[in-house]
Amino acid sequence: MASFFRLAFRQMDVQLRMRVLSLWSLGLYFIQPAIFSAVSMFLSQAAGNAVPDLIYTVLGGGIMGMWSGLVFTSTYDIRADRREGTLELIVGSPTPLRTVVGFRSLLNVLAGATSMLAAVLVAVLIFNYSFSSIYLPGVIFSFLLLLFALWCMGVFLANLLAWSRLSGTFVDLLELPVALLCGFMYPISVLPDWMQSISVIFPIRWGLEAMRDCLKGSVIGAELTMKWLIALGISFVFLLLARWLDGKVHDHIRITGELRSV
Amino acid sequence: MSDSNAIVTNDLHKTFKSTHGFLKRTTRLTEAVRGISFSVEKGELFGILGPNGAGKTTTVKMLTTLLLPTSGDISIFGMDIRKQTVEVRKKIGFTFGGSRGLYGRLTAIENLRYFAELYALPPEVSRKRIPKLLEIVGLDGRGEDKVETYSSGMQQRLHLARALLNNPQLIFLDEPTVGIDPVGARELRATVKYLQSRGKTILLTTHYMAEADELCDRIAIINKGRIIAMDTPSALKSQISPESVIELKTSHENLPGLQTLLAKLDAQTKITYHENASKQVARIYTLQPAIVIELLSPWLNTDLIHNMEVRNQTLEDVYVNIIQGEEK
Repeated sequence: MASFFRLAFRQMDVQLRMRVLSLWSLGLYFIQPAIFSAVSMFLSQAAGNAVPDLIYTVLGGGIMGMWSGLVFTSTYDIRADRREGTLELIVGSPTPLRTVVGFRSLLNVLAGATSMLAAVLVAVLIFNYSFSSIYLPGVIFSFLLLLFALWCMGVFLANLLAWSRLSGTFVDLLELPVALLCGFMYPISVLPDWMQSISVIFPIRWGLEAMRDCLKGSVIGAELTMKWLIALGISFVFLLLARWLDGKVHDHIRITGELRSV
Repeated sequence: MSDSNAIVTNDLHKTFKSTHGFLKRTTRLTEAVRGISFSVEKGELFGILGPNGAGKTTTVKMLTTLLLPTSGDISIFGMDIRKQTVEVRKKIGFTFGGSRGLYGRLTAIENLRYFAELYALPPEVSRKRIPKLLEIVGLDGRGEDKVETYSSGMQQRLHLARALLNNPQLIFLDEPTVGIDPVGARELRATVKYLQSRGKTILLTTHYMAEADELCDRIAIINKGRIIAMDTPSALKSQISPESVIELKTSHENLPGLQTLLAKLDAQTKITYHENASKQVARIYTLQPAIVIELLSPWLNTDLIHNMEVRNQTLEDVYVNIIQGEEK
């Protein structure tokens, strides 16, 4: 058990210093969400709302930062390891790649949470947002669930990225569509039915909806519990898919020789 | 299979499949390794020589579990690399030539600590072993420096330290001296010798004949994915006739004149031509060097022959002979 925690610490330490603490990440976690928040406030004003709904405009920017951070950091991790020649050293060690990817994704998700923290601070300090009417235990639980959902998706995506040199391009293309489909910055109900049908497969949509309900004061009831359970269930599906994919990836990259970029 | 073997390979094949085109997809198969079989005894230093693209690195990557063979078997210390992959990984160490494979923004010690955790080394072992390894590879005193400040030779030595972290009994060194200066290469060779003296089994691939000749107990020469010769360096050298080699250097413009002159030698004298650092090099393999030298002596102080050297055959001559014979 001690070696497990040492491995976790070392992976997260290196991940933090090599990949997360950079100007690029600063832009990803704080500047990009701020731009999204500002644009969404202007759109809200243009739509005739005298006061923008901070749950969508500011906190939506926070979740955007968390998601973008996860997608790009996960993408960058495997690409960089492939480019720097460290991927084959990791794969060639007795530690499974899934363990390494799991700890790195965890750090990516936790780093992304700073984006939400910044969004909350902006909402409180600049826009005087009041948290008096929220259902705090529900918000905390939903947020933890959201982190878990993001982590499961991160582990899944990282495995997908290890599959081939080309899969990074595919994952890059997921960033905005998933943000739009999961309604980061607007209620999901404004989307056409077919789009809502697609978004049901993303656990972050359910975690986010649950968190918004709790921010608006909803307490535990059948609807909220259902959203939590769906988020948890789909997250586990992603985790199982990642576990299944891990074995396939391990064999596939050793057949194709795609552990290094050329 | 003998217990004394560290590596046994049997009829090893590796074929890579690549697809090209967008609308009309075409598949191309590349046979990198075509039926390689050899064994390496425990404690032996075994070399693999071959030109670029011969299949050296592909073979090493299969042996280190990084690539799966298309067919054939590999046994490392009696373990099947397909079925006992993790167990094999615990017992081996490997490095690949070049400066990739390290985290440049971390120090050497931080890099080694990172990889030590991947091999689940207890912290008390890492704490003792890392400074010792840095000393073995000649990087003591530089452990706290960031790797991005290291020269190619230092990075190569750090790679070797990384490969030794888990105290492996079998070490794979894929072109360990590529791109490093002669002094660095000499130091690295000394480290390799030291490791062998400590009972490690080493498989080395290299382009440098002198390196292979100096270090290896046995050598396999591979070309186009096949082993075309395998023996001790001295046995390989004795395989070819005890001819002397007369090496002549001339300019590109004077090469036709030299060729005309050398055409006067008898038909049993073998001559090869190479380009080396903008000079044209003619190598004459002869059993009667005195006759050849007599023929050439009037031209020694002219533009036709810039330099002449007479020597016995080296492993490089054996290698060139074997590879060129294979090409023909």
